[in-house]
Amino acid sequence: MDCDDCVDRLFAFLDTELSEEEVKSIRAHLERCDDCEPEFALEARFLDLLRQCCTSDVAPAELRQRVVLRLRSASPPTP
Amino acid sequence: MASDPFEAEALTFLDALYRTALRMTRSEADAEDLVQETYIKALRFRDQFTPGTNLKAWLFRILTNTFINSYRRRQTQPEFTELEDVDEFSLYRRMSDLRTSSAPGDPEAELMSGLVDSEVKDALAELPEKFRSVVLLDVEGFSYKEIAEMLDIPIGTVMSRLHRGRKFLQKRLLDLAQQRGIAAVRATPQKG
Repeated sequence: MDCDDCVDRLFAFLDTELSEEEVKSIRAHLERCDDCEPEFALEARFLDLLRQCCTSDVAPAELRQRVVLRLRSASPPTP
Repeated sequence: MASDPFEAEALTFLDALYRTALRMTRSEADAEDLVQETYIKALRFRDQFTPGTNLKAWLFRILTNTFINSYRRRQTQPEFTELEDVDEFSLYRRMSDLRTSSAPGDPEAELMSGLVDSEVKDALAELPEKFRSVVLLDVEGFSYKEIAEMLDIPIGTVMSRLHRGRKFLQKRLLDLAQQRGIAAVRATPQKG
């Protein structure tokens, strides 16, 4: 696998969407390529930043209460 | 709290559903309505859910369908905006240029730590909706296949929207960092 093949699969690799065989080939390439390894590391860092920013919000307490009430009112009474 | 196991489990995804709804609709009021509608539909159609399968994915499918059918029409952005100009953007290349042309330091670390949550969220809000939805579902941990099923698009489209959406965000955030003069990222020529 050369650099172009590797970079073409960058996001699929970071998203864990590749076959075991492709993952092995990319890992082997990254171990010996001084260009691709830091690029993959930077992209991984960016994806972490995005994930952290986007998953920190919580629903307003009032919405939670409304949803819980709605669920209770729709549930059949428990014996 | 809900005593029914289905309801109890469904409630554990409230935060995830809300924050996704908030970024899809870009309105707190619409996000709350969308989430409530999602739970109402989930209760109504709970017989269609197969116990033991992925409840989070099932709820998100209801959320995205409801958004597409009821809320997308109200969005002001044109639905078919493309992002072709971002295809060639490479954050790594741009950072490499900065590393060689600026003062000593670690521009990558300064970029990543210098950006605040609100800037990332604002950049996301500027992303056209069809790209934003894919990015948001990815952030919530869904696979390409799950996202493709939720949005009823081919996996290849999921991949290309994710790719372009991420490149758009990187370009926006790097431009912003340069405008704000985040340490080593300041005062450098823009390329790529």
